Amino acid sequence: MVKLLIIDDDAHLRESLAEVLELEGFECSQAGAAHSGIEAAKKVDPDVVIMDIQLPDSSGFQICQTLRKRSRQTILIMMTGRFLSSEEKKQGFELGADEYITKPFDLAELSIRIKQLLSRRTPG
Amino acid sequence: MPPPARRGKLAYKILFWFLLISLAPMGVVGYHLVGISQASLRKETLAMQESLAVGFADTVYKYVTTFRNVLAETAGIDEFASMNSVKQQQYLNRIMQVHLAVLELSVSNVQGSEQMRTGRFLGPAPEMRSFEGEEFFIETMRRGQYIGKLERFQGLYPTATIAVAVVDQKAQPAKAMGVLMARVSLNGLSSMLGMEFPATGKSAAAVVDKRDGFLIAHSSPKEVFKPDARISDEVLKIITTQTAPKGGGEMALADGRRLLGAYADVRDLDWVVYVQQPVEYAYQTAAEMRNQIFRVLVWVVLFTILLSLAVAGHITQPIRLLREAAARLGRGQFEDLPEMMTTNDEIGDLAQTFLAMSESLKEKTGELIHAKQELEKFTKFLEKRVEARTRELKSAQDELIKKERLAAIGQMASVVGHEIRNPLAVINNSIYFIKTKLGTASAGTDPKIDKHIRIIESEIKQANGIINEILTYSRTRELKPERVFLSAWLDELLSVYPFPPHIVLDKQFDPINPLVDIDTTEIQQAIRNLMNNGIEVMPQNGTVSVHTRVADDRKSVAILIGDTGPGIPADVLDKIFAPFFTTKARGTGLGLAVVRKVLDRHNGSVEVESVVGRGTVFKLTVPVAQPGTPPPSGAPAGAAGPQHMA
Repeated sequence: MVKLLIIDDDAHLRESLAEVLELEGFECSQAGAAHSGIEAAKKVDPDVVIMDIQLPDSSGFQICQTLRKRSRQTILIMMTGRFLSSEEKKQGFELGADEYITKPFDLAELSIRIKQLLSRRTPG
Repeated sequence: MPPPARRGKLAYKILFWFLLISLAPMGVVGYHLVGISQASLRKETLAMQESLAVGFADTVYKYVTTFRNVLAETAGIDEFASMNSVKQQQYLNRIMQVHLAVLELSVSNVQGSEQMRTGRFLGPAPEMRSFEGEEFFIETMRRGQYIGKLERFQGLYPTATIAVAVVDQKAQPAKAMGVLMARVSLNGLSSMLGMEFPATGKSAAAVVDKRDGFLIAHSSPKEVFKPDARISDEVLKIITTQTAPKGGGEMALADGRRLLGAYADVRDLDWVVYVQQPVEYAYQTAAEMRNQIFRVLVWVVLFTILLSLAVAGHITQPIRLLREAAARLGRGQFEDLPEMMTTNDEIGDLAQTFLAMSESLKEKTGELIHAKQELEKFTKFLEKRVEARTRELKSAQDELIKKERLAAIGQMASVVGHEIRNPLAVINNSIYFIKTKLGTASAGTDPKIDKHIRIIESEIKQANGIINEILTYSRTRELKPERVFLSAWLDELLSVYPFPPHIVLDKQFDPINPLVDIDTTEIQQAIRNLMNNGIEVMPQNGTVSVHTRVADDRKSVAILIGDTGPGIPADVLDKIFAPFFTTKARGTGLGLAVVRKVLDRHNGSVEVESVVGRGTVFKLTVPVAQPGTPPPSGAPAGAAGPQHMA
């Protein structure tokens, strides 16, 4: 089963997203901050991490960088509530981000996108 | 108008002092001299008067004594002394013949009885008288002679009685034989006085008996030939009370006349000669002299004044010139200064100094004026600089305010994005979850639940749309212009725009299809916003018009987006581009603000014209890409243009 980690300081968002994605057949764990998110990632070793760019203790890009260093395989999806400049986006992609989604998101679309990304992932 | 010049004040001062110094001593001396000469003249006149009186007194004496001597001579003749009456008669007749003044001759014996009498107005046998008690007889017998007994013959002619004793010289001792008496007319004295003092003259002279005031003779015959002839009592009183034998002086009469009088006693007689002249006449010479002196003095004063004026004028003229020059200088007229004589004295020095001063002043004033002009220029320059700077500052401030406002809106939008998108996302997630659950659970649930789920989804979308709009307006996105053919690009845009069926599109493009450098995303957003608005205000039916019009100079092109809606009231028209201004029930009020922002970013402009009831036209103007300029980075024109054209 595909393991999913959701890192967001908004508990409702985490939970609702997790529960929707569980309906889609993903196994979801959650974290409310960057620090606990990285801990959870170490423990769970998720296939997909969906994280907010703005977190109370750190920037989503830093988690992104940390997690990418840890694993090349993990799919890293950045969530944002605001417009990102192309500079920011480029920076994110360079640090290892795979996708950006803007709140509120079309969940059906997200589900398909995750599955697609997973299917393209080189095994190993 | 210059104030009236107080001319020659200095000249008058000089004149005054000159006159005072020069004329005053002269006047004092003159006054004293006149006084002295007047006094001496008067004294002289008086002395002359006196000498006249004395001289005449002598004449009177001689006149009278002549008759006495004639009588004495006759009486001394032996034939007469012998009392021979025939001889006596002969002698008497001779006397009467020779001396016309003798009126009557008489011989009396020692007893006083008249022996012989002859006269001019007597009959052939005149009455013989006795002189025994008569004064003249007694006097003659005692002293040998007598002059006196003044009478008026026939009441008019003054006469005197002159008598001598007839003495027989042969007898030893001499023996008095009788008295020879003559009555002599004194008219001759008046005649002599009249000759000396003509009646036409102012002077008069008289001979008066001191004892009784009998008027013996007078220069005017009218005065003397009358029975009661006298001179005025005032004069008489003065001359009869004098003790000195001669004298004179001024007299003031009761009638106001002033007389200069002189008198002299007649020797051996109690007679006095009196001479008088009115003072003004007597002193006529003195007065003439005084007048002459005054005339001379007046001339001298006049001459002195004229001379002083000339001198003062001469002295003060250079000063006046200096003053005039100074006045001109004071008015700032450095040219045409009056010509100043440079005399070799203090005034010349002053003129030189003044000229030097005026030169210096001219120079300094020139410098001052130049400095002032420089200052004015500089001030103007500064003012312009300040104005320009103020304008710059103002526009910078406006810009800053705009930027700050945008920044504030951006910040707010960022907050809104974060804080509202999160809950929106949660709601969206939850409704998706619910929808999915319901969908999988049972297909036949309440259809109203499905409807409400759709409502929620729609509202989420709308809310998200609003947020997007705000974020779009506020974000500072980099402009990415492309060079495109405007008409072709618009054609494509319109072809994909979802026009509702009740809207008619009126498309009219300029025959020229200009190249423009535009950020297609943003311009598209602007045009869409305008068309959205237009369609929104025409719910029944209407026309959306999209026209292009290239400017005559081909430097810009206008895109006109119009509608046939209700139009915008004039009082609202100028606010519609302000952010967050809206007339819609639901709207951010950012649509037109975005339009303006986009056009501003393209160095273009947006204008609006609206007629209430007929519709509104927005005119977007963008610059036409100038040939020769390189196309902006981005999609090459060739890639976009022909593709759209096709």
